[in-house]
Amino acid sequence: MIREDWETAEAWETPSPAADRDVVLSVRGISKKFCRSLKRSLFYGIQDIAAELTGLRPDNNQLRHREFWALKDVSFDLHRGESLGLVGVNGSGKTTLLRIISGLLRPDTGTVTVRGRVAPLIALGAGFNPILSGRENIYVNMAILGLSHQEISDRFQAVVDFAELGEAIDAPVQSYSSGMAARLGFSCAIHTEPDILLIDEVLAVGDLRFRTKCERRLTELLRQGTAFVLVSHTFQAILNVCTAGIYLSKGTMLLAGSAKDVMDRYEADLVLLDRQEQQEGDRPAIISAHASSHETGLQLLDIYFRDQTEAIVEFPVTGQPLSICVRCQARQAIANLSLFVAVYRVMGEGGLALHMSSVYDGDTFAVGVGEYEVRAYLPYLSLMPGPYQLNVYLKDGSSYMLDACESFRFKVNPGGRLNRGIAYQPRTWEVKAL
Amino acid sequence: MPKSASPLPEVTYTPESRVKHPLTLLREMGQDLLASRELAWRLMVRDISAQYRQSLLGFAWAFIPPIVTAIGLTLANNAKVLNVGVTDLPYPAFVMFSMSLWQTFTEAINGPIRAVTDAKQMLAKINFPREAIILSQLGQIFINFGVKLLLIIGLFIWFKMPVTWSVLLAPVALLHLIALGTAFGLFLAPLGALYQDISKGLTIFLGLWLFFTPVFFPVPQDSTFATIVQLNPVTPLLVTTRELATTGVVSNPIGFWLASLLALGGLFLGWLFYRLSMPFVIERMSA
Repeated sequence: MIREDWETAEAWETPSPAADRDVVLSVRGISKKFCRSLKRSLFYGIQDIAAELTGLRPDNNQLRHREFWALKDVSFDLHRGESLGLVGVNGSGKTTLLRIISGLLRPDTGTVTVRGRVAPLIALGAGFNPILSGRENIYVNMAILGLSHQEISDRFQAVVDFAELGEAIDAPVQSYSSGMAARLGFSCAIHTEPDILLIDEVLAVGDLRFRTKCERRLTELLRQGTAFVLVSHTFQAILNVCTAGIYLSKGTMLLAGSAKDVMDRYEADLVLLDRQEQQEGDRPAIISAHASSHETGLQLLDIYFRDQTEAIVEFPVTGQPLSICVRCQARQAIANLSLFVAVYRVMGEGGLALHMSSVYDGDTFAVGVGEYEVRAYLPYLSLMPGPYQLNVYLKDGSSYMLDACESFRFKVNPGGRLNRGIAYQPRTWEVKAL
Repeated sequence: MPKSASPLPEVTYTPESRVKHPLTLLREMGQDLLASRELAWRLMVRDISAQYRQSLLGFAWAFIPPIVTAIGLTLANNAKVLNVGVTDLPYPAFVMFSMSLWQTFTEAINGPIRAVTDAKQMLAKINFPREAIILSQLGQIFINFGVKLLLIIGLFIWFKMPVTWSVLLAPVALLHLIALGTAFGLFLAPLGALYQDISKGLTIFLGLWLFFTPVFFPVPQDSTFATIVQLNPVTPLLVTTRELATTGVVSNPIGFWLASLLALGGLFLGWLFYRLSMPFVIERMSA
């Protein structure tokens, strides 16, 4: 379910006193350091234990030899019924943050205040003994998650039904597939009815039917007032369930805001990770195929974009009207001037994104001597955000090459109302009674 | 189930050392101990069920070692290969009974270490009252001793040994023995999770310790060896348990009370150490 209020969401700020009551999780200035060398790490462990026992706290803001910051200065608040998505590449500190919130790790700086029961879905099926049956393991797993015997008995049937394992529930867990074990673990965790639920990349397990069942149940929990912190790499999971988001990179908070904003930024960064950064304002040099126009009678001078107001734009925007303009100089009259445009993706699998020409559409132009701007007008640009390479060919007819440019690199910026997929699709939504 | 509007329990995590707030620390320790009762029971049931489901001999394993050792030593003693002197009880009974007690002691030391090793996956991923795994191991020790008790009762009947009313006090001394073992175990468990040397060294050390405990021989007198044996804290506890169950005459009450003090004080300090150090161990141990 995508909520509409993030369209007008205000800047991320500390809650007003009236909303304080509703804050279930408050994280302030959390930092955590780890050590890369195992031997040294074990030694630091002993050092930390000694410091804890004597009460002599060393300066936690300094990094000891071979240490690095897994988390640095992370702060946010989580209110009742709110769901927060944590995104970031692998190793950016998301699981560390979850472990600190659940009380497993001690932070090196800052404070975490938690109100209510926390259920971590960090590892499904913790405490499962493979020899015992699924039934017996339900009791173990839910006891570890903090429920009393009576509470477990009350929910037992609901857990068994939700997991949908059928007769396998009485078989030893060592005979389960990993998906079945994960379903059982998920079913146990989701029935603990916590106040705060921490979910670490586990929504991907199970088949599609089970996953949608889990999402429905999580949404129900959200409506009942449970707060979530969710880590996932499947964008749909975050966007469907979360209202707010935090983007972590190498332990620092790059962006905190609505789930949509954070996901857009994260995805844009993922796509541009390997790309050599171009300076903003640097126009790529146009390399014309011919040194002079005398050979063919036409020389390509420049390639640029114009938007619907005829202004020249540096970076085209997905979904917006766009004109691809090619400025050329004709030294002689040309009867059937046509423009070929080919756009290739630079990232990912590469490959062709768009190929079109005026002559295939039946439009050619007769021009005399002079300077012209040939343009392809696109009512809306269907290219998704990212880097592309443009190849432009000016031909007389469908095959006689006049001039070309094959190395024009440009970047498309995201617009509003983006969908997922290979291309942008403008759409409206409606319902009709039958 | 709709969420109630009652105030939720609040917990705060800071980098500050817990030792700076001793009263809060003690209160938390008590709370966690109470909270871990049910979980400890659940884990104990789990471990025992799993253990015996995969075993044919099952509970018999609890009293095979004492019987085997006794047979071997009795044969050696009768052949005059060993010369252990005069014991209060018939020698085979003496060995089996003492061996059961010593075994319980080593189980008590290994208990916390095993608890942490077996639960590494859980510890690394979920925050739960960690006293539960220690209690679960303690429960298993008691159950194992219960099985050995059958053996001991069998011994008493077979050798027609007399029993005095002091046998009712023997469990107290046994508890102190278990407490001493658990105290050592609690100090070693966090370190053992970090460094493999601890568990390797412990096996060797316990083997050595056995020789300085009057398990195969009565308490020696007047020699350097005797001094070491008498300084060994396990000696008074083990000997007193044996004496309470059989002769009813306690030979070294002062030694017993000193060792008990060490055991109970050590148990509390061990618990404190375990509690304070586990968070640091968890973030660095291999899960």
